[in-house]
Amino acid sequence: MVLAVTLGYLGISLGVGLWSGRKTSKGPEGYVAGDRALGFLVLYFILGASIFSAFAFLGGPGWAYSRGAAAFYILSYGTVGLVPWYFFGPRVARLGRKFGFVTQAELLSHRFQSKGLSAALAVISLIAFLPYLTLQMQGAGYVFNVVTEGRIPNWAGAAIAYGVVLIYVFRSGVMGVAWTNTLQGMFMMVLAWSLGLYLPWKLYGGVGAMFERLAETVPEMLRAPGLGADGAIWTWGGYSSAIVISVLGFSIWPHYFMKIFTARSERTLKRTVVFYPTFQIFLIPILFIGFAGILSYPGVEPSDAILPTILMSLDLPAVVIGLFCAGALAASMSTGDALVHAAGSILVRDFYRVLFRPDMTASQQTRLIRILVVVISGVAYYFAVMSKISLVALLLLSYGFVAQIFPVLLAALYWSRSTRPGVLAGLAAGCLVTTAWNLMPQLQWQEIHPGVWGVAANVLVMVVVSLATPPMDSEHVAQFVVD
Amino acid sequence: MRPRLFSSRLTPTHRRIYRSVVVFFVLIFLAMIWPVATLFSHARPLILGMPFFLFYLAVLLVGSFLVLLSLYLWEDRTGASSDPEEDSL
Repeated sequence: MVLAVTLGYLGISLGVGLWSGRKTSKGPEGYVAGDRALGFLVLYFILGASIFSAFAFLGGPGWAYSRGAAAFYILSYGTVGLVPWYFFGPRVARLGRKFGFVTQAELLSHRFQSKGLSAALAVISLIAFLPYLTLQMQGAGYVFNVVTEGRIPNWAGAAIAYGVVLIYVFRSGVMGVAWTNTLQGMFMMVLAWSLGLYLPWKLYGGVGAMFERLAETVPEMLRAPGLGADGAIWTWGGYSSAIVISVLGFSIWPHYFMKIFTARSERTLKRTVVFYPTFQIFLIPILFIGFAGILSYPGVEPSDAILPTILMSLDLPAVVIGLFCAGALAASMSTGDALVHAAGSILVRDFYRVLFRPDMTASQQTRLIRILVVVISGVAYYFAVMSKISLVALLLLSYGFVAQIFPVLLAALYWSRSTRPGVLAGLAAGCLVTTAWNLMPQLQWQEIHPGVWGVAANVLVMVVVSLATPPMDSEHVAQFVVD
Repeated sequence: MRPRLFSSRLTPTHRRIYRSVVVFFVLIFLAMIWPVATLFSHARPLILGMPFFLFYLAVLLVGSFLVLLSLYLWEDRTGASSDPEEDSL
């Protein structure tokens, strides 16, 4: 029964994903940017659902359960993270339409007239995507495994869910991502609110009663910075810098940023940014779920299993478990599909085409993107189920790397004096410092995220080198910069 | 050659409005991290059933939403925009 509901849900996703791609044009403008015709509702869900990944559905409650208020950082960064789009989004969308950009690197490398920048951004994107995608797949496999009580092993669960993703991304490109995310996003919202209010009510008699008990027994879990990974009180440095680096990276994650180019109009884009927090607010009930586990289910390992553990223990009807399973898969798949699709597009448009084959035709590009979508899924699947390498360290590094793109974008759009050597040197310095601080824990101070030092170095080097090199051609620059 | 956040073609009043909005969001951002957040980081009193700090963050979230929504509606009403080249589709 559980399986039937879940598989039924996967079937619907697949249907919607295939159906959605039937109208777009064949070239990359259609496959990658949806012919720049996405309306408000679809754009709203694509942005909401790609961020609410397996991390939100399993990791969010897991953090609240094991680390308490530390999980509030997730709520915080989304409050302001997308606001920059309100201001630079319309300009970026317009430049995209004018020059035919469909990826972030195309915009930035054209502004700075640098193939090297395009390749560097493609490499950063891939380094950032791979661990992220791998975790989504692991999440999907995990959900299958827990709710079928081990009858479906992780590898098979991940393969089933991502087989579906692969088919609709392969076939429909961004439209498949868009429409399945709309479906999955609505589904997650309903599920999050119902579970988030039901579980505290069932276990404690209400949300207020639950927090009353927690405030008496473990008040340190209800106030920031919460607990660290080791169970001791976390530092304010760690908590605050996690917010800082996430805010800087939020508006600039390449798979996310690309969606600016899909907007039908600039007003549509702005409206989407305005209403984004209504999606964000659904994190609150998600966190309630984790808090509900603290006193009733002590000692669950790993902490990410808290939600499935509670659900399995409550003797709920199979339909409800099946729906949860589908919801968690939705969370994983709606992020995974966007990542796979973006990774393929970026590798072809920003790396291969720029460096080796500038004369590729539109249909050759789309075909190669499709091939790479398969290859990248395969690599991530290998890491997700076969490899024993821990990706957590890599994930930490990837957030630090992505944040380094933020100063480049600001320079591109707001500072006419910024130059190619300036941003290249800044980006290199930022990534080097981030890597160095990751590799050498003795440089750590107050648990501040390595990426923060990276951004500081990045900005400093970018400004100094830009001022020391001759300005770029002012007519070219004027097309991009706010005047 | 200095960095410029808003177009010089905006009227001074509009530039002032947009600058204030940006400042508002910077303040919201600062309110969520050290040191400002330490002032509000309490478990009690519970408000609407939520710990005080969670309620505080929810207020910041809703406040941000309302401010940006007002800005958007104001632009709709007056035809103003943060970007003078914005298309009016």
